[in-house]
Amino acid sequence: MSHGTNAAVMEAHWGGGAAPFGASWQKTMMWIFIVTDGLLFSGLLCAYGFLRMATEAPWPDRTKVFSIGFIAFMTFVLISSSATMGSAVTASKLGDRKKTTLFLLATIVGAFTFLGCQAYEWTEIIHHGARLTTNPWGAPQFGASFFILTGFHGSHVVSGATILIITLIRHLMGKTPAQGVEMAGLYWHFVDLVWVFIFTLFYLV
Amino acid sequence: MSETAHGGNPYKIYFWTWVGLLFITVAMLLAEKFHMPRWFLLAFLLVFMALKAVVIGANFMHLKYEKTNLQVVVGVGLVVTTLILFFFITPEAAHVREKSTIPMTAPAAAPAHH
Repeated sequence: MSHGTNAAVMEAHWGGGAAPFGASWQKTMMWIFIVTDGLLFSGLLCAYGFLRMATEAPWPDRTKVFSIGFIAFMTFVLISSSATMGSAVTASKLGDRKKTTLFLLATIVGAFTFLGCQAYEWTEIIHHGARLTTNPWGAPQFGASFFILTGFHGSHVVSGATILIITLIRHLMGKTPAQGVEMAGLYWHFVDLVWVFIFTLFYLV
Repeated sequence: MSETAHGGNPYKIYFWTWVGLLFITVAMLLAEKFHMPRWFLLAFLLVFMALKAVVIGANFMHLKYEKTNLQVVVGVGLVVTTLILFFFITPEAAHVREKSTIPMTAPAAAPAHH
């Protein structure tokens, strides 16, 4: 590289423009957070795949451990709550306060329904003797995989429900702009997105 | 962002996305009933899982209205990193399984060095 070219490179400025993503800093940061949080679940799912392939003991038959119909209902609840959240974001952008309130409320009801179902599922599984290091159905790694994967997801649902409640209260007080509802929505959809992978890879495969 | 700028019912997209996601979910649940080969069932479930993720990202998270730069950062960041992570980690699972078959009471002798 010649001296002239080197100097030109050293003096070069950022060429991505004022807004390379065409989004506000709040939304850009939210997306970066979603990518990093998504990588957390990628790591957990890869670890689950590793454990399942590394174990010699047979992996428990999912139909004997779970009620797949019940898990399908939980999936239905989460997908429905994502649809109501998307509607809340649109209502907020259109300035329809009443619809925003109703759709946010419906999403919160969905969040707590899902959490109730998960609490019931955990209670049943623990009642049958499953723990982090052991379970009555097969490979001991199953317990750790189940509790860690669904536990991390459940903790995100709790965070999501908290964010939604705060957003609703602030919306009722007239303090949340449309962008605030949109940020809450992005997080909630992410929670739904993660469930798509857990549902398929853990409950169906 | 233009997701609210179109004419017609602005909530329609969420209803049809919801219907589509439910349809895909039911298809995934029923797939097992058709007694297809294991590899085909797995491929079917993985393809439909990816489809659901794309639909949620595009329609619910409004990624389809965002600039390509943001779409690429999210897509490449998540998908490529996950694939690299998966394909670097999982081959090791076979080694672990092989080692676990060696009886603990009689460890294998270390290979002789020449």
